[in-house]
Amino acid sequence: MAMASSDGKGAMTHLIGWVAQSWMFIAFFIGFFLFWEFSIGFFNVPLYILTPPSMIVTKAWADLPRLFAYTYVTGLETILGYMVAIVIALPLGLAIAFSSILRRTIYPFFVTIEMVPKIAFAPIFISWLGFGLLPKVIIVFLVCFFPIVLNAILAFNSLSEELQRFSRSTGAGVWRTFVKIRLPAALPQCFVGFKYAGLNATVGAAIAEFIGSDQGLGFYIQITTGNMRPELAFAGIFFLTAIGLVLFGIITLAERILIPWHISVRRIQA
Amino acid sequence: MQGLIEFKSVTKTYGAGSSAVHAFGPVSLDIAEGEFISFLGPSGCGKSTLMLMIAGLLEASAGTIRLAGKEVHAPQTDIGIMFQDNTLVPWRTVRGNIELQLEMRGIPVEQHAEHISSLLQSVHLADFADRYPFELSGGMQQRAAFCQAMVHRPKIVLLDEPLGKLDAMTREHIRADLQKLWMQTRSTVIFVTHSIEEAVQLSTKVAVITPRPGKVETVIDIDLPFPRDLKVKGSSAFIRHVREIQEIFHGYGVI
Ligand SMILES: Nc1ncnc2c1ncn2[C@@H]1O[C@H](COP(=O)(O)OP(=O)(O)OP(=O)(O)O)[C@@H](O)[C@H]1O
Ligand SMILES: [Mg+2]
Repeated sequence: MAMASSDGKGAMTHLIGWVAQSWMFIAFFIGFFLFWEFSIGFFNVPLYILTPPSMIVTKAWADLPRLFAYTYVTGLETILGYMVAIVIALPLGLAIAFSSILRRTIYPFFVTIEMVPKIAFAPIFISWLGFGLLPKVIIVFLVCFFPIVLNAILAFNSLSEELQRFSRSTGAGVWRTFVKIRLPAALPQCFVGFKYAGLNATVGAAIAEFIGSDQGLGFYIQITTGNMRPELAFAGIFFLTAIGLVLFGIITLAERILIPWHISVRRIQA
Repeated sequence: MQGLIEFKSVTKTYGAGSSAVHAFGPVSLDIAEGEFISFLGPSGCGKSTLMLMIAGLLEASAGTIRLAGKEVHAPQTDIGIMFQDNTLVPWRTVRGNIELQLEMRGIPVEQHAEHISSLLQSVHLADFADRYPFELSGGMQQRAAFCQAMVHRPKIVLLDEPLGKLDAMTREHIRADLQKLWMQTRSTVIFVTHSIEEAVQLSTKVAVITPRPGKVETVIDIDLPFPRDLKVKGSSAFIRHVREIQEIFHGYGVI
């Protein structure tokens, strides 16, 4: 498997290669922030509407302890909700895929629920369960659960006929067939669900905090905006993005370790 | 002599009611032990279906199939099958895929390392043992799948268009290798193909199957000496067999 070489020289050529390939993107990115920085003064935008990036950095720096504390709170909600979703959705998806009774009862129920915007439940959960951690974890869980379970069902149901026949022709038992063929064959489709859920997890946490909370980044963004401190709201958004990126990074890493052979991973490495 | 594999008025219908597809039948056929028999027929005539029914992977709609005297109603585990679409899994190397056949059967892999190497050697894939299927051409994948189907030394071998994805040159080459291998093992081989020449070159018998609903039009004995090298292929007896089969298909408007 073509993995990036781990020695320093390899990393350096890798970096140079990346810059050579992506300089347009980097230039655009820098240009975007420069435009933002200088257009505020140029167009006389009041600072309570929008602040230049440099000011976001300096003000956020001064408020760093609070930002870190809230990042921890929101990060915990996100990770907990996400993990619980995986732990429950994966075995449930497996069960539904292999049980014709569940497939005729729970599955259509889930497909219907999937149509409902889960975020719409947030106010209800918060009115039931208060301002604490639990309602946020539940909302993140709800947002993540359905993509994971539906993709898991699809994953465990779509083993090619040829491979099913191959398995049967060997006389292997259910368990051996599962470990050696069904599970590895299902992983790529499972990861589609993991990734989609990962992208939405922080959205769930932030909105849950908007609705009712006294801490966390969603709370922070709402309060600072209300206080006409857009620079701090932007800092909050930045940290929220960072949580999402870390989560997505972990998922991508797991994907590389578990299914290095899959086309989605190979394409990135090529 | 009683056949090793016996078909008695076997028919297969897919689906039911007005949308039912009468795939083939009734087919009656006897295949003796050690035979190399080709199922030769146009696309859609039911060759794969027939093959899968021998393996117990599909049930006949009517009629019976006997394998060594016993009716087939469940998957047969002591045969080697090369499916029409290869069954290489993308998460294992070529060697790993061949080992998969053994692991699924609970056969210790280590004892067969050399056997796997020699199999790979025989299909000219030794240098690709540690490559993944996506690193192989379609023809190379087929050769790897062939090793996967043979590694547990089956006495009965079912090959569904095993050379279908090979170019004409490699095909000729692998045909010769396949013949050599069969002459050593003398296992019973069911060989599905579209190619008349291939069928005549490799087989002791050719079952000519008509277009859907497929029927065994005739079973032709090919009593030419083995190995069937270029000289045999140039002989008038060989050409006569090919002509005979061509005429049957011509009568059906297939060619
Ligand atoms: N699962 C299925 N459901 C419905 N019809 C099927 C199914 N499988 C095969 N058939 C029908 O049965 C007939 C025989 O199919 P089969 O795959 O055995 O043909 P074949 O001779 O192997 O063709 P080819 O040479 O193209 O592989 C075809 O006409 C096809 O339409
Ligand atoms: Mg076929």
